[in-house]
Amino acid sequence: MRAACVFIPHFPIAVELLDRPDLRGRPLVIGGAPEQRKAVLDCSPEAEAQGARPGMPLRQALGLCPKAAFLESDLARYQDAFEAVLHALEGISPLVEAADLGRAYVGVEGLEGLYWDEMALGEALVQAVRLADGQARSTGSLLPSAGLGEGKFAAWAAAVTSAPGEVCLVPAGREAAFLAPLDVFLLPCSLDTMRRLGLFGLHTIGDVASVPLGAIQAQFGPDGRRLWELAHGLDWEPLRPRRHEESVSERLAFSEPAVSTEALSVAGRQLLGRLFRQPALRHRAVRQMRLRAALSNGRSWERTVTFREATADRDQVLYVLRCTLEAALPSRPVEEMEVTLSGLTEETGKQEGLFAAKGHRRAQLEEALRQLKARFGQSPVYHIVEVEPWSRIPERRLALIDYDP
Amino acid sequence: MVAHPRTPARPHRLRPLREPRPVAVEADAEGRPVAVTLRGQRLRVLQVQDTWRIDDEWWRERPVSRVYWQLTLEDGQVLTLYDDLLARMWFRQGYR
Repeated sequence: MRAACVFIPHFPIAVELLDRPDLRGRPLVIGGAPEQRKAVLDCSPEAEAQGARPGMPLRQALGLCPKAAFLESDLARYQDAFEAVLHALEGISPLVEAADLGRAYVGVEGLEGLYWDEMALGEALVQAVRLADGQARSTGSLLPSAGLGEGKFAAWAAAVTSAPGEVCLVPAGREAAFLAPLDVFLLPCSLDTMRRLGLFGLHTIGDVASVPLGAIQAQFGPDGRRLWELAHGLDWEPLRPRRHEESVSERLAFSEPAVSTEALSVAGRQLLGRLFRQPALRHRAVRQMRLRAALSNGRSWERTVTFREATADRDQVLYVLRCTLEAALPSRPVEEMEVTLSGLTEETGKQEGLFAAKGHRRAQLEEALRQLKARFGQSPVYHIVEVEPWSRIPERRLALIDYDP
Repeated sequence: MVAHPRTPARPHRLRPLREPRPVAVEADAEGRPVAVTLRGQRLRVLQVQDTWRIDDEWWRERPVSRVYWQLTLEDGQVLTLYDDLLARMWFRQGYR
């Protein structure tokens, strides 16, 4: 299977540099302020040179790179940018797999007739990403490298070893020879396996290929077999093109940045009203809701909620939206809000049991009340009890008491 | 050690239902209601459907001594009032 890999190293950093070109050349760490108890999401090659690594605590990164610029992570922004990249690649081939942020595989079989040669195809992929969704701007653009080879691993290795903007081709049947001098760190395996490969003196992919299959399988089991096959250029992992899911979105910009749950709920109600009036949602239910907000500091906030059952009830969706906002109100004033409903299904009926399960309903009710009590600190629900039902004085007969399940 | 829940402990308490509410009533010389003022509107009593007296809880600090009147007002609504004979005040109250 002939495949291409389009690779943008340090994708979050690349996206940040599009907005902040003045930071180019400085050590950058993405993850948050250094005093926060969070981990590094990504760091620039300058920061990596000083020892910072993705996944390490921010404080440790600060210790290693005291002069680095620490940026809040904006995953929604990175995903948007990557989505634009994938969309651009789908303009060339319908088979595009999103591996992780900054790495995509493209199925290229059948495209031979459309391009002069594979190099031209690779250059088209690079160019498509550069122009993705208007990203080519005066401040620069995302510059990927591309690799083409037999199977995803060979294509990826070719892309990783290429300079940004360049294309590397691995001729069919020459995969093992191409991979042989490359560092064993490119192989997809755990850190422990990597360490053990080093202990065995296997430092290049060619070293792994030179070991008999039986020996490496005896040491590493099924993972060893896979490493051995990859080292020989044998990659049977299929390309998994992303599925296109139908969704509907609406967006609302606030004239004044909104800070309260109430204001955001009102906006949510309006957006849901618009969404449920769309023809795409007529007689259909939704399974998932994504809330996004553009914050006043230029960052974004995002939450995704999956409903237990597909619903076509606007009020039910609004209730979930309110609960989501109450549970995690954006930390900054919101300038723009977007609601996306996805997982559209046909509206379905709900089969009730023939015999009402009262005990089950009571358990559900009590659980709901426990949640209300946890939220409000006290039970906001009462039940009526008979105190002196025999009394001639009306106010003595019945009373309300906190319902405390 | 259990963390403080940060919500004030609130004792459970009973909230009586059908508590009486004060109401402005005009009565004749014999103590029979002739008009009732509800939400600023004076309504004449068309008919007295029933009346009864309750004397109870005489062993408590605040005994109960009431004369209940079930009335039909000029707008057609049926109202139950009582005259608190100890406080000398009128109250309306749901009575069933």
